[in-house]
Amino acid sequence: MTVIQIKNVSRWYGNVVAVNDITMDIGPGVTGLLGPNGAGKSTILHMIAGFLAPSRGTLTVHPALGEPVPTWRNPDIYRSLGLVPERDSVYAFLTGEEFVRSTAKLHKLANPGAATRAAIEMTDMGQAADRKIATYSKGMRQRIKVAAALVHDPEILLLDEPFNGMDPRQRIHMMELLGKLGAEGRTILFSSHILEEVERLSGTIQVMVAGRLAASGDFRAIRRLMTSRPHVFTVRSSDDRRLAALLVGRPWTTAVELTGKGLQVRTSDFGAFCAQIAVLTRDHKIALRELLPTDESLESVFGYLISSQGS
Amino acid sequence: MPADTSAQLTGGPARSGGGATSVIHDLGYRRYDGPRLGRAQIIRALAWHSFRAAFGLGRGAKAKIVPLVALVALCLPAVVNAFAMSRGNPRVVDYDTYTPALRDLVMTVFVAVQAPELVSRDLRSRVLPLYFARPIKTIDYPLAKYLAFTAACLVMLEVPLLLLYAGSIANVHGGSAVWGQTRALIPGLLVGLMWAVVLAAISLFLASLTGRRAFATGAVAIAFLLTFTLAEILLQVEGQQNQGPQPVTFKGSGPGAPIQVHPVLYVPSLADKVSGLFSPFTLFDGVRMWLGGTDPADSVPNPGGLGAVYALVLVVITALCLYGLAARYRKARLS
Amino acid sequence: MSAYFNPTIAALTLRATLGRRRALLFAIPAVILIALTLVLRASRPGTDVLWPDRVLGDFGFSVLLPLTALIVGTGVLGAEIDDGSAIHLLATPVRRGSVVVTKFAVAAAVTAAFAAVPELLAGLLAPNSSKLAFALFIGALAGSVIYSAVFVLASVLTTRAIAFGLLYVLIWEGLLSNLVGGARILSIAHYCLGIANAIHPDANLNAGLSLGTSVILGVVVTVGALILATRRLSAFAIQGEPA
Repeated sequence: MTVIQIKNVSRWYGNVVAVNDITMDIGPGVTGLLGPNGAGKSTILHMIAGFLAPSRGTLTVHPALGEPVPTWRNPDIYRSLGLVPERDSVYAFLTGEEFVRSTAKLHKLANPGAATRAAIEMTDMGQAADRKIATYSKGMRQRIKVAAALVHDPEILLLDEPFNGMDPRQRIHMMELLGKLGAEGRTILFSSHILEEVERLSGTIQVMVAGRLAASGDFRAIRRLMTSRPHVFTVRSSDDRRLAALLVGRPWTTAVELTGKGLQVRTSDFGAFCAQIAVLTRDHKIALRELLPTDESLESVFGYLISSQGS
Repeated sequence: MPADTSAQLTGGPARSGGGATSVIHDLGYRRYDGPRLGRAQIIRALAWHSFRAAFGLGRGAKAKIVPLVALVALCLPAVVNAFAMSRGNPRVVDYDTYTPALRDLVMTVFVAVQAPELVSRDLRSRVLPLYFARPIKTIDYPLAKYLAFTAACLVMLEVPLLLLYAGSIANVHGGSAVWGQTRALIPGLLVGLMWAVVLAAISLFLASLTGRRAFATGAVAIAFLLTFTLAEILLQVEGQQNQGPQPVTFKGSGPGAPIQVHPVLYVPSLADKVSGLFSPFTLFDGVRMWLGGTDPADSVPNPGGLGAVYALVLVVITALCLYGLAARYRKARLS
Repeated sequence: MSAYFNPTIAALTLRATLGRRRALLFAIPAVILIALTLVLRASRPGTDVLWPDRVLGDFGFSVLLPLTALIVGTGVLGAEIDDGSAIHLLATPVRRGSVVVTKFAVAAAVTAAFAAVPELLAGLLAPNSSKLAFALFIGALAGSVIYSAVFVLASVLTTRAIAFGLLYVLIWEGLLSNLVGGARILSIAHYCLGIANAIHPDANLNAGLSLGTSVILGVVVTVGALILATRRLSAFAIQGEPA
């Protein structure tokens, strides 16, 4: 089920193309928008949030109740959409509670007080809510912005680099919160270049490089799709050298390296390797002690995508 | 490790070939050991950059509008004068007063809008630590800014005068006439210098108090206009007092509108002379007249001996503003 | 129209405008106006004096009113756009016209409070000037409204609204529109003078426009500015580095 539909969207500023013909569908759950700086993540997020017009293409939001509507020049989308912008500016002279409450009133909520309290509780800002925002740390400002974006219980939540400036404890809390919201069926889209967060938090990632969409989907599945790069495994066994000789004999092995800590095996056929490594070791009476895919992390996926695009 | 080839770290070019030893070159971080420019160069670079910023150069098109309009507006009387003189009329615009109403207002706009461009922007974008992480003293930054802005104000003030001069000598004949024009020009240029030095100090000091450009512009504009209108009011009020009720006309709205006070039996009293102390523009006029300038009817009365006080007040104000400006940057904080 | 006025936005804007150091910029001139009036009244007793014209006209009407309107008007929306907090306001289903009208109303009210009211007070304190004071008060009220609309529009159109506004107030209204007779129809100050002159005709005001012309032009400019500002705000885009 598509909640946000982006079709052939491009955005350019004079000669600089910030977003280059991107098509993607975003559904419920947590989606991470990943990319290096300058990739166009903020631009796409601002366009989805209705704060930037696409130079070409359409962005439409499909709320649960109502017609699909384009995002540009359509303030009604904010009934089902909350935005947490990256820029650090909020009304510094208000207290946290006043800020969230006035946002609730602007959304014309029936019970702004209750919604404010709920949002502040959700973001764990209860203790600081009575202080002026000018006294907040950067992480607290982020959280109060999230509270304001959640106060009207939106179906869609857009966050631009939400973990900037948060300490580890706040980050974990925010990730739990976003995970919970995603599990409730909301559509959470956040941008980041911190790989650990995206890895831990989102099931789906959209990778943007230089304005183009480099990959989308589950990152493990993406890894498997990258057949041009061999998979790398770390293997430790009772007899590494003999196992190495055996592996070299197999057609799906492209390289074996003896390191001090075991073998590093490169294979071009992930499926064949997985199916046959156990058989191999059992048949030759070698005890397999450790088998680790070393490049399944998002970091390596990301690295491959960046380098393949960046040349 | 076999060592039949000697591997060394050197900085020379790589050569391979029979007989030569193989080398691995250290291409890592290299220090710069050459000559370095000093403080003076840094100040000059910063001043030049700020001078350009004062006219909106190096920024977008919108930044150039106000300085350009101001400069054109200031040059218009010179053009009009050249035109009038070419028709045989006598000079319309003097060198040392140069349409005071226009100049007061235009310079107010210029310094109010451009002084924040020089100092408030740096405060807002928090680049001061970058500037001060260089081998300069903390006084160098405000010094460079002040030099740059004074130069910018000088351009705004002297270019019209030079245009006026050019237009005049094109229309007069004979060496002595040209020499007469030149002699009249010099005091005008010096008056312009006085203006530039003082206006730059006051406006830069006020603008350096805040990082928000709009706030700074408002503060400078209010400071100059309030004091100016105050001084004018006190002057006219005092002037009327001496000669009894006279018809006074608002010539339209606006602080620059010329006010007519009939000068038939006009003897400035002490109170009159003091009222000119309240505004930089009237102070300029007072000092100018004290130093022998012309005494037109519709301006501050000639302060006579009190002119020394005018000059002193100007010097004190400038010194205080410069001191404040320097003190502002003594501690290189982030904002 | 009442559907357009949003009390939440009004409260926020009022707090933002009055609760900062910037408020001094328009509070101090108002205080100086009153103080000046009192000082002159004390030092110059008698009813046959002409300083009220100067104080009320030159100071109050020609300097205090436009500058206060400029600082307040460009600040109500401009400050938020400039530091980026406008996005929190705009990421809500509030109608853009509502934002514009509410901010305009707050700007007009604050300007009236800090320019028109002191003008009236000064005029009542000054000897023999109550009629002029009242006329200028009404003119200043009109000015608060018209100037605020125009400056709010300017702040939506550009981040340098106060610079261009200053150019307009000082150069255009201060000089040029007095030199060229026909240019008066493009000068807000003249609309206000026309209105003031109609209430208490005074040759010193030198108002060139009739009441009818002034009112019509004033209304056209105000409504036009608000409509344009709404349209531009509906297309509000976050500028910045593509990242």
